[in-house]
Amino acid sequence: MENILEVKDLCKKYENFELKNVSFKLPKGMIMGFIGENGAGKTTTIKAILDIIKTYSGEIKIFGMDNRKDESKIKEDIGVVLDDMFFPEIITPNDINNAMAGIFKNWDSKMYFDYLKEFSLLPNEQVKTFSKGMRKKLEIATALSHHPKLLIMDEPTSGLDPVARAEVIEIFQGFIEDEECSILLSSHNTTDLEHVADYITFIKDGEIALSKTADELLNKYGIVKCSEKEFKAIDDKDFIKYRKTKYEYEILVEDKKAFKSKYKNAVIDKITLDDLMILMIKGEE
Amino acid sequence: MIGFIKKDLAMIKSNFKLMGILFVVYAIMGFMGDMDISFILPFISVMIMISTFSYDNYNKWDAYAISLPDGRKNSVRAKYVATILMMIIVSIVTFILSCAISYYKTQTIDLVQMLSTMLGSVFGTLLVLVFMYPIIYKFGLEKARIGIFVIVFGIVIIGGLLIQYVDLSYISKYLFCIEDYLIPILIAVMIIMVYVSYIISLRIFNKKEF
Repeated sequence: MENILEVKDLCKKYENFELKNVSFKLPKGMIMGFIGENGAGKTTTIKAILDIIKTYSGEIKIFGMDNRKDESKIKEDIGVVLDDMFFPEIITPNDINNAMAGIFKNWDSKMYFDYLKEFSLLPNEQVKTFSKGMRKKLEIATALSHHPKLLIMDEPTSGLDPVARAEVIEIFQGFIEDEECSILLSSHNTTDLEHVADYITFIKDGEIALSKTADELLNKYGIVKCSEKEFKAIDDKDFIKYRKTKYEYEILVEDKKAFKSKYKNAVIDKITLDDLMILMIKGEE
Repeated sequence: MIGFIKKDLAMIKSNFKLMGILFVVYAIMGFMGDMDISFILPFISVMIMISTFSYDNYNKWDAYAISLPDGRKNSVRAKYVATILMMIIVSIVTFILSCAISYYKTQTIDLVQMLSTMLGSVFGTLLVLVFMYPIIYKFGLEKARIGIFVIVFGIVIIGGLLIQYVDLSYISKYLFCIEDYLIPILIAVMIIMVYVSYIISLRIFNKKEF
């Protein structure tokens, strides 16, 4: 399968934080959910991919090209939503249309205004009059309207109400339909990712803790809830992490079926991305 | 780059009204009295453009700009082009108004005098731009504002010392020799200054991380 984005051995050092050999691949036609707690390195990784931070080591290839050497060519085909709001507050969606028409060769004004209409955004209102959710919608509309092949989105659904979120998720699903386009989607909204993501990459303390297909992760992995006595009977090699709660032990297992065949009486629940994150971050080995 | 220029101009469109009012004030003062504020107008236009740095910084535009095609280069280039464009338009309108005022008062237009005044004003304004922009890119607008006071103060002090302690008569003799070429030389110097300033700003911005 052809990869639209490849990150290999990405390292970046700050005084109090470090990205350590971050590597993952995003194939064509797929959505990758990029998850991790606050400060884990999601935004830093995205900024390195976009060359917003410069002094890093490692290799980043987008559409098979080096993200620095072929920057101009690559960025024509990338749509971006960043974590922070970025449109100057005193301009209007109309101004953004005029500006983007002079920036992107493939800028599609009709598509842009169709999105504005769909999102109920008035073209002549200043950005400062928009709510946080409306601004996010405006950024998403802008990111989509030059027919990009790759969307890089850092928390695009934050601030959106459930209806708008569902609307945006539907747009994302439509975006990858032709199997030529992909999305790297960093989000804390793991329920959305469970519905839409084909791959899940989990970053913890600046390192990739796992990068797998969502099917493998959500169907193969499981969470075992048991008493202390039952927990002590389980071999250390048969689980990844465990966590002691007030009433029980929660154990993260990599292969539900294999575990069940070994521990016949074990009760294994389907795992959610929230469970996975909590156990990976808070759990012990 | 055109898109970046359009975005910068969109940010200052609310100031166009202010510029219009200033032109009216200038015209009234010119027609009714003797006060000439023409040299200030191009300077104000640059100051208005400089305010766009503040909006960019406040709204974290620069990180997004870099994510756009040739974002770093186009972003810096657009600031220079938009500023110079604004300055030229304001200078031309000021020049036309000055000619009208002169004709109204004296029934003559001294084109050479008018052009010299305009070029002097443009040159002074460009000096602010060429020093200020690299400082803004390096240290941000707030610190650059302090920087500009230091620069202006420094120029005044150095100029004052030169006049007081150095015999500058040979410079005026030399200037007299090249009088016929003074305007083209001045224009060439301005172009070189702006180009060098742009290259420095671009180098600074190319290294910046957001």
